[in-house]
Amino acid sequence: MERRTFNAASYSLSHLRRDGTRTATTIVTISITVAFLLLTSSLLFGMLTDGGGDRKAGLLAGDIPGSVDMFTEFRLDQEISGRARNSLMSYLLLTSAMVLMVGFFIMYNTMAISVMERRREIGILRALGLSTKEVMKLFLLEGAMVGFISWIFALFFGTPLILNLASYLINRGSESIFFVMPSMPLALVIGSLLVTMALSTISTYIATIRPVGSSPVAMMRTRI
Amino acid sequence: MDNGTSFISVRSVVKEYRVGDSTVRALDGMDMEIDEGDMVALMGPSGAGKTTLLNMIGGLDSPDRGSVIVKGMEISSLNEGQRALFRKNNVGFIFQFFNLIPSLTALENVLVPVMFDRDPPFDRAVELLERVGLSGRMDHVPGRLSGGERQRVAIARALINDPMIVLADEPTGNIDSVTAREIVSLFRELNDEGKTMIMATHDRLVSARARSVIKMRDGHVVRGKAKSRERIVHLADRKASGGIRRKVEG
Repeated sequence: MERRTFNAASYSLSHLRRDGTRTATTIVTISITVAFLLLTSSLLFGMLTDGGGDRKAGLLAGDIPGSVDMFTEFRLDQEISGRARNSLMSYLLLTSAMVLMVGFFIMYNTMAISVMERRREIGILRALGLSTKEVMKLFLLEGAMVGFISWIFALFFGTPLILNLASYLINRGSESIFFVMPSMPLALVIGSLLVTMALSTISTYIATIRPVGSSPVAMMRTRI
Repeated sequence: MDNGTSFISVRSVVKEYRVGDSTVRALDGMDMEIDEGDMVALMGPSGAGKTTLLNMIGGLDSPDRGSVIVKGMEISSLNEGQRALFRKNNVGFIFQFFNLIPSLTALENVLVPVMFDRDPPFDRAVELLERVGLSGRMDHVPGRLSGGERQRVAIARALINDPMIVLADEPTGNIDSVTAREIVSLFRELNDEGKTMIMATHDRLVSARARSVIKMRDGHVVRGKAKSRERIVHLADRKASGGIRRKVEG
């Protein structure tokens, strides 16, 4: 036998593989959510650090091929009135919160449907002696795996795409509201990972806790 | 905690289910005793309460009234967490529709009950699959196995924790008669090794090879066949020789 181990992680992974299409669409959606959050929060960071962003702290922004150096192109940041600055920040915060909520509900929905479809399987696992906690762990592992892969995708593919789009918009005209140099320090990268993991595991937990805890006999009678 | 009861003791058990607006009484004051090492066929028409009784003995469900005592332990009073542990350590379930996990290979399916263990007994899973005659099919997913092969995987899975009780709900209900005969022989072999086997069945082939037959109707026992003297002597001999688990652990 080539594979000598089989554990909870292999179980979760095999299920994600089997449900490939749904896993892929969830990963794409969560990636877009996280990438958008990265964009808005990098702009917020940019505004918080020296109004226009500290170029030294930028992890990605300065290195994107084809992107303009917003800091030198638009020095308008120095002239923004406090009110305009505040409203922009509120707008960014509000959009981030909304996007976070959308991501949360997408993940919740995916896991809730998955649990509904797998009621019988959950009943079998419980009959075989797995506790409610252990079955929950399987789902949380799946949620965490989806979250982690989505974060990687968001970081390495989504962010550069969105930032390029931002610079393209800026190039279209000096009237653009985008005069802030996005800043992406390491803290933001780590923070985004924590937020993604929290989003995926908390939504999974809420979606699955009740069905997983119901009677194994009732669940095994389910025919889907 | 030994109350001087049988190995499995079911006392005045009542279980009701709600179906829509009406209530169905699946077990109606059920009383039953099963000795250790017995091989019991529960027979009776659909709706007689066979599956409900198996679920009670296996700690999958709890009675509305009455008690279920296994090896001196009242499992009907355990909470869900304790019942899960009881199932894991003491009971192997075999189902009519096999209930394998479709995304996993045969070998992985056998390892499902122990996947949270620190060191899952991989070699034992391989041995069990070899024992049920599936050495060449370990990496096949259930979709690529025949009904009989799937049931063999389910049997290996039921044995992975070396349970003292094996509960089978219509184990031959979904397989051809030749395979059914082989499965029943395997059950008999397991029983010879000391497992207490309880099978809910309609199949005369199964009841013919059981050591005891309990007939049920409308949630209670209508007739129970006493165990043969030969059987009890046989069990005592086997215990004295201490060779009960030799074959499984190979």
